[in-house]
Amino acid sequence: MDLLTQSLEQETAAPTSLPTTTTTTTNNNKEVNFSIFTDLNESLHELEDTDLDALMADLVADLNATEEKLAAEIQGLKVPSPPPTGSNVSTPASSSASSPLPPPPPQSTKPTKEEIEAQMKADKIKLALEKLKEAKVKKLVVKVLLNDGSSKTLMVDERQNVREVLDNLFEKTHCDCNVDWSLCETNPELQLERAFEDHENLVEPLLAWTRDSENKILFKERGEKYEVFKNPQTFYLWKKDNKALKAIKDKDKEILIKENFCGTSAIVPDLEAVLHLKEDGKKSWRQRLFQLRASGIYYVPKGKTKSSRDLVCFLQFDNVNVYYGKDFKGKYKAPTDFCFLLKHPQIQKDSQYIKYLCCDDACTMNLWVTGIRIAKYGASLYENFKTAEKRAAVSSVWTNLPPPPPPPPPLPSTSTFPPSPPEPVFAPPPPPLAAKSSPKPAFPQQHPPPNFPLPPPPAMDFPPPPPLPPIADHSEAPPDFLPPPPPSFGSLSPLPPLPGKSLPPPPPPCFRRMDQSLPPPPPDPGFLPPPPPQPMFTGAGAPPPPPPPPPPPPPAPTAAPSAAVRPSGSVRKMPPPPPKRTTPTLPAGGGGGGGGEGGGGDFMSELMKAMQKKRSVP
Amino acid sequence: MLNQMNLNSASIKRDWSDHAIWWEQKQRWLLRTSWTLEKYGIHADARLLYMPQHKPLKLGLPNGITLRLHACFSSPVFQTLMGICRMLNIRHPEELSLLRPLEEKKKKKDKDSAEEIYDLTEIFSPLKSSFAVSRPCLYNGMPAHFADSPKMEAIYKMLSVTQPPPAPEVVAKQYRPASVVDKAHINGRWLDSSRCLIQQGIRENDRLWLRFKYFAFYDIEPKYDVVRLTQLYEQARWSILLEDIDCTEEEMMLFGALQYHISKVSQSEPKLLSSSAAMDDLESALQSLEVKMDGESSSASEIFVVKLKHVTICFRPKKLTLKGYKQYWFKFQDTSISYYKSKEESIGEPIQQINLRGCEVAPDVNMAAQKFLIRLLIPAPEGMNEVYLRCENEQQYAQWMAACRLASKGKSLADSSFQSEIKSIHSFLAMQRTNPSSHGNTPANDESINTHSLVSPRYHKKYKTKQLTPRILDAYQNVAQLSLTDALTRFLQIWQALPDFGLSYIVVRFKGSRKDEVLGIAPNRLIRIDLGVGDVVKTWRYNNMKQWNVNWDIRQMAIEFEGNVNIAFSCVTADCKIVHEFIGGYIFMSTRSREKSDTLNEELFHKLTGGHEAL
Repeated sequence: MDLLTQSLEQETAAPTSLPTTTTTTTNNNKEVNFSIFTDLNESLHELEDTDLDALMADLVADLNATEEKLAAEIQGLKVPSPPPTGSNVSTPASSSASSPLPPPPPQSTKPTKEEIEAQMKADKIKLALEKLKEAKVKKLVVKVLLNDGSSKTLMVDERQNVREVLDNLFEKTHCDCNVDWSLCETNPELQLERAFEDHENLVEPLLAWTRDSENKILFKERGEKYEVFKNPQTFYLWKKDNKALKAIKDKDKEILIKENFCGTSAIVPDLEAVLHLKEDGKKSWRQRLFQLRASGIYYVPKGKTKSSRDLVCFLQFDNVNVYYGKDFKGKYKAPTDFCFLLKHPQIQKDSQYIKYLCCDDACTMNLWVTGIRIAKYGASLYENFKTAEKRAAVSSVWTNLPPPPPPPPPLPSTSTFPPSPPEPVFAPPPPPLAAKSSPKPAFPQQHPPPNFPLPPPPAMDFPPPPPLPPIADHSEAPPDFLPPPPPSFGSLSPLPPLPGKSLPPPPPPCFRRMDQSLPPPPPDPGFLPPPPPQPMFTGAGAPPPPPPPPPPPPPAPTAAPSAAVRPSGSVRKMPPPPPKRTTPTLPAGGGGGGGGEGGGGDFMSELMKAMQKKRSVP
Repeated sequence: MLNQMNLNSASIKRDWSDHAIWWEQKQRWLLRTSWTLEKYGIHADARLLYMPQHKPLKLGLPNGITLRLHACFSSPVFQTLMGICRMLNIRHPEELSLLRPLEEKKKKKDKDSAEEIYDLTEIFSPLKSSFAVSRPCLYNGMPAHFADSPKMEAIYKMLSVTQPPPAPEVVAKQYRPASVVDKAHINGRWLDSSRCLIQQGIRENDRLWLRFKYFAFYDIEPKYDVVRLTQLYEQARWSILLEDIDCTEEEMMLFGALQYHISKVSQSEPKLLSSSAAMDDLESALQSLEVKMDGESSSASEIFVVKLKHVTICFRPKKLTLKGYKQYWFKFQDTSISYYKSKEESIGEPIQQINLRGCEVAPDVNMAAQKFLIRLLIPAPEGMNEVYLRCENEQQYAQWMAACRLASKGKSLADSSFQSEIKSIHSFLAMQRTNPSSHGNTPANDESINTHSLVSPRYHKKYKTKQLTPRILDAYQNVAQLSLTDALTRFLQIWQALPDFGLSYIVVRFKGSRKDEVLGIAPNRLIRIDLGVGDVVKTWRYNNMKQWNVNWDIRQMAIEFEGNVNIAFSCVTADCKIVHEFIGGYIFMSTRSREKSDTLNEELFHKLTGGHEAL
């Protein structure tokens, strides 16, 4: 409890660098998309004054820092852009983050004019391409309901999958991270519920919600999510009697899983049962003998045999998802309450295109829903499970052994975790923040205290960042740059060289850690906070390397502690910040320094206005 | 000493090294040249034959083609098979075996018995090296011994490229097992792996079938397994066409679509390879698109506009109404279509914009009536909206249909598959044009395959080509983008996902039972099927098996499972050695993953499948 409350407080206090994060809390889920300002105002109203103050202070600090940087970076090219936008932009997508990097060249060596020009041109093109992509990235601010009735708000990027969002939530909620935690979507109108699969993108299904939708997203444990991997015999040997199933040995379970999920394609349990089907447009239910096959659900027509050739296709899975129905006995006069339904994810209201099925008991229902998921998702379910298991193992290790820093990123890699990475860039602002944030070390969740001393631990938290590397893929330019950063972690010294070209200024990513020791004059102060994220992705991207530890050594002894602390704090937050819907502005900012500034200014003034209003009202 | 005899006869100048002595009376090869005749128990009256160990054999491949090659008649069939597979470049020979062919009844009518036979007899005794080299080195993409001459190259091509779909009549003429019992009879024909060919009554130039026997395919690596993959596909395809394995109508259509796609791609693949258009780069994609599309495209913003005039549209939420096709000006942009009253208004706000992502696209085409409809089922919160687009001509239809299909999968027109999608739509239209008129298999060009040759005879009766083609086309949309290897793999995956996949049936009589029942042998389990009901009554899994025994005297098998479960049965349609070999073979297959080494553990195989002869 203590930990939890502590962390929560911090969260609120921390709003710090990312105004958006705080703001988000109030918004209703979804659709926040691009309407940043309105949302901001709205949300600002609900904020505590103290929060606002803190937020403002941060922002100002941010601005100052960025301005300084700008000045330092002369050229006026896009270099500075990162900072201004940074404050609001926050997440713009990792790609944007990466893009800024290239431009910065100004600082470092000054090659010949032509070279510079060529470079600039190339950078511009890259930027433009990236902006193109960036502009299309959708982001949503989502309110997730927790079991205790509270809620968390976070921003979700189009490219994030559910696994990544879950990891974010693990950090925010300090739950035990077991494999059963799921994100579920509910639709009160249809009275249905579905757990998203870990590999699904979250944004897409949410975009299907209607504007006035009462749909919710829940974060809760669902035992049936991976039941098939815990007790495969219940699904694959369902015909056998219970006694035999209970007596099954672990070894046999393993064999079952291997047989069914590790072959060329996942094998769907061959289910067969009499289910009740709701007749189109009527309230009556009709019994049919259904069979599940990899290619769809079939039924046996009256008077026909069960042989494959006589089966009639009831439905195939390409365009539908499977949902659990709630209280269909009441709503549709179903024979039992054990109902599931199949529909296109876009359909949000009752329609003839929704197929309702009712089972005799809960067991049959779970059998069918799971069977359908296997038919639909195949081996990715197993991949998801293995990832979730690793994640759970890591967190349990942590809880048990606070100090052990090693096992970091459970996420092998997944793809895009745009949010965290970009953050780092902006993070720079706040020296002040640092002070505040320092207390935050708690974040690490499980073992807050122990972490402080060690910089590494924070890194571990970040698993999410790893995605960064992938991001690189998206944007052509980044790839080149990204690679360098990793090395930097290991040894600070290398960094300087890296900049070689134009990199130096942008280094934000790589430097984070190094800042203190690093010469890069302008960025230094600001950048400190960001460092943590960087390490993250490197580590996460590949194995769980011990990169984090190295950095601390080089940096100034004094700085180190604060930095270390900070990172954890900032990092945590940082991820959330990405949520900023501010994104829209971002792209502009990222693109050209000028644009970014403008955006930043607007944002700030808007924010100021809002605060004044808020103050005057009381 | 035997080798003295050898030497004597070798005075004639010739390579006698392959010759050995066969003792016909005792059905035994005298291969141990250091043994004395006495040790072999040979007396003066014994009739010994001095003959080559390798003799030609006609081998029916899974793809239906016959190959003449030298096989070893003196070593156990398992080794003979290893030699054959090495020659044909098929890895994992343990998964295959030799099968006695069915008698061909229509021998008399076979005037065209001039069946094409590929002759591989030039290659004599295959290299003696063991199978350690499981990743053979390739020359020009084929094993060295095939790269020698054009003739050999042709043989390799036959082995490694899928055959065109057979004419429907050919399929209809082939023997099709009508029941589980029929299928069980086929399994009585497997040769015994532990004895040699000649001991099993196989003579020179006899015909045997090479087939995959154990349905546990290990480590398929498309790069090295070209022949294996191709032949496996052929076997799977024929098992579908001949209804050896049951599937539903939907599955049959998908199999049909995949066959169509595979035959199309395998004919054009070589060309594709050279111009592989992997346009990862946004810019190059942009450029090529600009060239291709005759529409305006603003290269700066990933937006492409296809100009199509006179498309008419009709919204038909319910009932079939014939009225209501109204002309609008349409634009396809990204994954959405927008429509306007007229071209002039197309700069402003569209009347409606419809995002096609996640929608269902179905064709509704009648070439004869020049009807080109695209039916869209567009998901919306309230349900699915049905929209019809009517196109003026084939060209327009193909473009819009391709665009709709890509959009439904979330791909924009910038996707590199757009052009190939258009092409495949055209070729399907071509099929519809030519087929209905001419019944049967006109020697059509590759554009027009008779869709009847893609499905089993059951559907020949059920559907006319006209009805069948749209259904296969429908299934085809989901596979049209697959590469050859992916398509083959997909075909095999769907095949393997069929509930009855991997089951080999044997009619048996369980101890204490008075009626015949069927034992199904699968890669991971045994099942007992009641012949009367046709239902599976019991399943036993190998991993619960403690031991199995064969009583060779009364030809009975006894198997003991954990939990004191004992079963015993005698085999009706097959020798119990075959059943024994099946079970032991599958257990052997399951040990493969554990052994990291690439070499085939021949000894273990014999131990598990050999029975008393092996001991």
